[in-house]
Amino acid sequence: MITGGGGGIGAAVAQRMAAAGISLIIADFDGAAAERVKSEITEAGGQADAFAIDVTAAREVKAVVKDVEKHYGRIDILANIAGGSAHTKRIEELTWAQWKEVVDVNLKGTFLMCREVAPVMQRQKSGRIINTASNYGVTGAALRTPYAAAKAGVITFTKSLALELAPDGVLANTVAPGPTDTPRVMEKESAQARQQRWWPNIPLGRTAVPQDLAEMYYFLTTPESAAITGQTFHVNGGVVMP
Amino acid sequence: MRLKDKIAVVTGGAQGIGRAVALGMGREGAKVVVADLQAEKAQSVANELQALGAEASAIEVHVANESSVKRMAKSTFDRFGRADILVNVAGIYYPKASVVDLSEEDWDRTIDINVGGNFLCCREFVPSMRAQKSGRIISLASGIGHYGMRQFSHYAASKAAVMGFVKALAREVGPDGITVNAICPGSANTSMPRQHRSEEEVMTRLRATPLPHILEPEDIAGAILFLASDAAAYITGQSYNINSGSYMF
Repeated sequence: MITGGGGGIGAAVAQRMAAAGISLIIADFDGAAAERVKSEITEAGGQADAFAIDVTAAREVKAVVKDVEKHYGRIDILANIAGGSAHTKRIEELTWAQWKEVVDVNLKGTFLMCREVAPVMQRQKSGRIINTASNYGVTGAALRTPYAAAKAGVITFTKSLALELAPDGVLANTVAPGPTDTPRVMEKESAQARQQRWWPNIPLGRTAVPQDLAEMYYFLTTPESAAITGQTFHVNGGVVMP
Repeated sequence: MRLKDKIAVVTGGAQGIGRAVALGMGREGAKVVVADLQAEKAQSVANELQALGAEASAIEVHVANESSVKRMAKSTFDRFGRADILVNVAGIYYPKASVVDLSEEDWDRTIDINVGGNFLCCREFVPSMRAQKSGRIISLASGIGHYGMRQFSHYAASKAAVMGFVKALAREVGPDGITVNAICPGSANTSMPRQHRSEEEVMTRLRATPLPHILEPEDIAGAILFLASDAAAYITGQSYNINSGSYMF
């Protein structure tokens, strides 16, 4: 089950997992986008379902997870990728509503999804939860106070969750992307501007493509990562080395 | 096979985590140089690799000895022409001593092997990776490098130093398409912790992790194989913990 699966990193993760034979539940605020990714996967011979979901709405999250569990009988993987930094502004200009919007979609959404899915995995005595932070959750970033706070929250939330779920064999880890060329950020900034801003500061000399991140999410679903829980995996070309 | 025809050098490849890495590399299609101070054991891992159908050679190396490391590199280049992957596993976790009782010799030996060995090995292999504009270096650090441990100040310092070295080297060689990362294992089911703990103590520690999963060398090798593969092309300068949840940094 992938939230934010309708585009960007989430869609790349869905494609990567589908290529490995995993059945996908693609959940996205933009239901039409989720449907598009579902069609791409099923047309390529994969298995996928799509749901529209607002991860900040507790009742909606509960209903969707119930539906999925009823239909599939189990949930082996949850990748919480829905999130974003919708408001970038100085703290004195940030409204309470804007603060809440950013914190809720990144942090509360992750909590609500985990709250519903974790019991399913605990009953199965297996499961992989992969949450999404950001290098900003470690370094902070000017004009992104709510985003950095939320992403730092995701990292420590995930550690706590990992400790809670470990006795039942359920693993929880965080992936922390760095600057990644998703359609959403490319709408706000030209490729050339991004290159000028980022590339000189990245040891590997380029920003990420969503597929770079997808490989890490996929790794965290495999038997090879069976001993890994509570950890944070930065995938950022070396722009941040905590 | 994720590493088909790659040339991989694994120091400390004769036993424990290094052996699991070497065998894993071979299974993924790499040609493997098993380098270790214990030449006979290295040869037997090379034999195991050949039995799996992988091309492999064994070489004796003392990673804190310049001329020995140069010989290892020359033997790799003579046989395979290049090295695509270098995994620095060779290290020591000995002796146990409080700071006030630790001899200068034991301090030097630990630092020289655990972090100096990284320097010497990387120095020999980076130029050929640079020339081909690609390469993967993965070094073994340790959770102890983050959280420290009583009576292992030398080991803790050396492993923290590995992480610092990895970050600096990652910045130096990133523009050449070479990635450099560290893996920090928790206490694993190998001979190393048995050097100064009873079997019972070792097993108790291995079972004390949040995740009911005894950390085996293969668990560490899995993450190293991932970092060596094309899937990890955008990861550099990182130190990843593999420890059944015993420590979260």
